[in-house]
Amino acid sequence: MNLYKYASPATFYPLAGKMIPWFAIPAAILFALGMFWGFFIAPTDFQQGDAYRIIFIHVPAAWMGMFLYVLMAIYAGVGWAFNARLSSMMASAIAPTGTLFTAISLVTGALWGKPTWGTYWAWDARMTSTLILLFLYIGFISLHSAIDDIRRADRAAAVLAIVGVINVPIIYFSVQWWNTLHQGATIRLLGKPSIAAPMLTAMLIMLAACWLYSVAVVLIRLRCIILEREQNASRFAEVGV
Amino acid sequence: MNWPDLSMGGYGFYVWGSYLVSLIAIVWEVWSLSHRKKTLAQQQSASNSVPTSVLRESANETSS
Repeated sequence: MNLYKYASPATFYPLAGKMIPWFAIPAAILFALGMFWGFFIAPTDFQQGDAYRIIFIHVPAAWMGMFLYVLMAIYAGVGWAFNARLSSMMASAIAPTGTLFTAISLVTGALWGKPTWGTYWAWDARMTSTLILLFLYIGFISLHSAIDDIRRADRAAAVLAIVGVINVPIIYFSVQWWNTLHQGATIRLLGKPSIAAPMLTAMLIMLAACWLYSVAVVLIRLRCIILEREQNASRFAEVGV
Repeated sequence: MNWPDLSMGGYGFYVWGSYLVSLIAIVWEVWSLSHRKKTLAQQQSASNSVPTSVLRESANETSS
């Protein structure tokens, strides 16, 4: 089986269509399970009471915002370096979903900050660098839309995406590098998590749901982008541009 | 299994507000994508000037 043929938008288009239900349906099931676990199984926190339950959407959304940015930069970089159209289309398809998750993490963070810190917003390192991530996503989308020649737009946006990747480790390590109002990492790459098992389970289920949801909507958007670009190419070919 | 206190111990506005905002964002994304798909399908059926294999296949999918 030749997998390289799927690097062509026309060949990947039907495959993407077949893949969507395999991600969308489990995403819906896991969202429901994660909410059930978070509200019915996970106990009330002894310090923050029930306000901590915002964690089940806030942390997965914040992680998705960062993961999707790195993924978007990789696809944009591959599209730029190897002139791979599908990779650049994938980067464009990821950007709005990454923006959405980053915005959700900022809004839910503000709603969590008010009852626990007494303020919706503070210019601390974690929050400010996450806000910069949102601006980077918006910048990527705006720059891409501002250039008429699609392939030039892909290349220009790829440069922005790659340069912006530096912000992701800054967000992750900001709570260690600076004295921030934001709490430290709940889950570490090495070492034991600092929350109880039922809370962690609910959070991981919601994270899996967010991943599956992201793949499904990115594939739907990718199919739209493939069609739009093919339509534009046909129209330009017709008028001899 | 514990039945949750709907007032969330006085934090209901913040907890339910967070989930409501997230739900609205997700529903909006799914709705806008489905609208984009429909618009594309309409453009295809209105125009017969897009004879690529991709577009033919998409037309078959949307008509079935």
